[in-house]
Amino acid sequence: MGKKRRGPTMDELLARPWCYYCERDFDDLKILTLHQKAKHFKCERCGRRLNTAGGLSVHMSQVHKEQLTEIENALPNRSGLDVEIFGMEGVPEDVLQAHQQRVAAQYHQAEAERQAVTGNPPSGSGAGGQPNKKPKLEDVSDLKARLAAHRAKRTEVAAGGSSGEATPLGAGQSASTPTSYGQPSATASPAQQQQPPVQLTYPPPYAGAAVPPAAPYQQQTASPVYPAFSPPVAAPYAPAVYSPQPYPGQSAALGYGAAPPHFPQQQTPPTDTSLPPRPGSMPTLAGLPQRPAFAAPPINAQLMQQMHMGHPAPPTPAHTNGDARQSPGQLSSTVDELISSAAKEAAAPEKPAKKDKTKNTRMIYSDENTSPEEKMAKLARYAFSRPAFQQETALGEIPASIIVGTIRDQDKVVDPAH
Amino acid sequence: MARYSATTALAVEMSSNQFTVASPPTDAISALKFSPDPNSTRIVVSSWDKNVYLYDLRDENGVVGEGKLLQKFEHRAPVLDVCFGETENEIYTAGLDWDVRKIDLNTSEQTVMSSHEAGVRNVVYSREHNLIISGSWDSTLHVHRPDAGSNTQSIPTTIPLPSKPFSLSLTPTKLVVAMASRALHIYDLKALALLTAQADSDTTNGNTVELEPWQRRESSLKFMTRCVACMPDDAGYASSSIEGRVAVEWFDPSPESQARKYAFKCHRQTAEDGVDVVYPVNALAFHPIYGTFASGGGDGVVALWDGISKRRIRQYQKYPSSVAALEFSGNGKYLAIALSPGFEDGKDDVPEGVVKIIVKELGETEAKGKGAK
Repeated sequence: MGKKRRGPTMDELLARPWCYYCERDFDDLKILTLHQKAKHFKCERCGRRLNTAGGLSVHMSQVHKEQLTEIENALPNRSGLDVEIFGMEGVPEDVLQAHQQRVAAQYHQAEAERQAVTGNPPSGSGAGGQPNKKPKLEDVSDLKARLAAHRAKRTEVAAGGSSGEATPLGAGQSASTPTSYGQPSATASPAQQQQPPVQLTYPPPYAGAAVPPAAPYQQQTASPVYPAFSPPVAAPYAPAVYSPQPYPGQSAALGYGAAPPHFPQQQTPPTDTSLPPRPGSMPTLAGLPQRPAFAAPPINAQLMQQMHMGHPAPPTPAHTNGDARQSPGQLSSTVDELISSAAKEAAAPEKPAKKDKTKNTRMIYSDENTSPEEKMAKLARYAFSRPAFQQETALGEIPASIIVGTIRDQDKVVDPAH
Repeated sequence: MARYSATTALAVEMSSNQFTVASPPTDAISALKFSPDPNSTRIVVSSWDKNVYLYDLRDENGVVGEGKLLQKFEHRAPVLDVCFGETENEIYTAGLDWDVRKIDLNTSEQTVMSSHEAGVRNVVYSREHNLIISGSWDSTLHVHRPDAGSNTQSIPTTIPLPSKPFSLSLTPTKLVVAMASRALHIYDLKALALLTAQADSDTTNGNTVELEPWQRRESSLKFMTRCVACMPDDAGYASSSIEGRVAVEWFDPSPESQARKYAFKCHRQTAEDGVDVVYPVNALAFHPIYGTFASGGGDGVVALWDGISKRRIRQYQKYPSSVAALEFSGNGKYLAIALSPGFEDGKDDVPEGVVKIIVKELGETEAKGKGAK
């Protein structure tokens, strides 16, 4: 049953290399580096293409005596020189994760739209999606059944039953809510991450998008993982991309989103408290995936609801974020590597620049008035006494020209030397 | 497109052949010249060991290789320069014995053309005007007519210079003289030839002629000029200094042309202590067909440059000793490189096997410019 492939899976999308400076993604890392050389690391004066921003900066200062202030063709908040980027290397971890979250968000959004239009199940979840879907639908039907039962009881109560019964029923309902929504807190614990409840696979991507800039970045600043690089990067970056503007007043959304993928422990409590109102807040999430640069078409509440409730999510986001959660050690080590390599790259081109400034040069030959040949001619072994040969020469070779005045002239000059 | 040039350049470079010419001079090389005949593979080399060597890169079967020493001409003193004359069977030499000589390669007959009052650093021959011009540390140029050898009445015309000349270079119409004190004169060869003919017929003025150069210039480089070489298209020249720098300038005195001149750093190395070691650029040579040029420095590096697009075409692997002289063959297929120990630091001893003549067989486009960006 060769089913026609609809498009790239989330995995493929997330694996695509992309440009830190303009967020464009590419088929190949090679093409990405070529793009960066052509678009961002090209010297505007002479057109020379450098490999890195540092290289371009040194080139500009040495060749054109100019100071490079910003990267060309970059997004406004990414034009800084403080990050040393080469291909995908050197991209700050927070930016990387934000990008992945955005890719995930866009993917889901596109999925949702497509589903809304076609009514098809999500791609990439083919066989795996169905079993997931069932328990979920059961859940919903369960819920509805319970709701119906509850309503029936209520009507019963209203009809004449004891008011005391209402409370246990209400409690029962609220108890049933935790079974479906109470698990988010469990999501934070790595152990349960193995079987994430379907709905809960969504929080990570949106969580990132809705992160209030202040809290997580403060943590990062304090984190030993970002000793020098993160603060300058994060600071200009955060306000612009993580613009909180779409969410003012959506306290529920903010709270819900406050679970950043990489610091689960600290963020768990707010997740817990804010999760119960989640169903109610769902519609307001419509604005969340939108970013200043990538204005996605707004999704109405129903669509969003469908997106979150109607279909199971492909496992990818859960895995990516789960990975980040499960191996903070690994994460920090790769970040360390990135930073150290970036630091090395940044430090290397600085050296010649320094030299250029101090003009620390040593000339092999520095006599301004005597050429090397003249100096050599003065060496004893090359010594040649022309006057000693003069007579010989005059006698042997130019006797006829002695008549000529000029030659006599030469003799005069020679004679005193005798 | 540009991104592929690097790989093709590499491929070409890999294919380039290099020979070490057999029986090199025993002491430092002062000059190396290719025969101007495009089909010839003859090289003359002058050396501080008082000899002038004549090599042919072709063996008996016409195969170009390490070549063989055809002849050796001993002089009284170290020879500082050599050049081919009207045919490749006559050469002119200049040396520390103050003489400018003509040597007939067929008969080995040596004729003294003129005598300076100090060592003679350079000698050049202009085919177009049939003139031999020598420059000496006595701060004069001597202009000879080669047929003067038969006419004993003829003596060279002396042109006084403001400073010691260090390097001479010719185009079909001009003579560029680079001197001490960063002075540079450009003479019009036609005027020079006319004057010489005139002075020759008029023996009363002592043959010393004050000739106003066509242009007087100050070197664009801040340090002593080491070498000057003219573009084959007669448009300008390149000059190099003892401070690892090369300048490219144009003859045309118009402001537009003068605005095109530029200089660049080269032949430098960063030592371990972070100090930039700057080597003199001893030799420059233009490619006769592509108009690109090669520079050779005290660091033993030879680099090819495109003077028009201001780009380096390539740089060859560093040689173990300083590059004393460079020249392209008449057809541009070979580049001869003379290696001599760093005589710029006045080393007293020349270890054996250090003096070498390397001939590079250039790939089809190895010395071709890359074109504008």
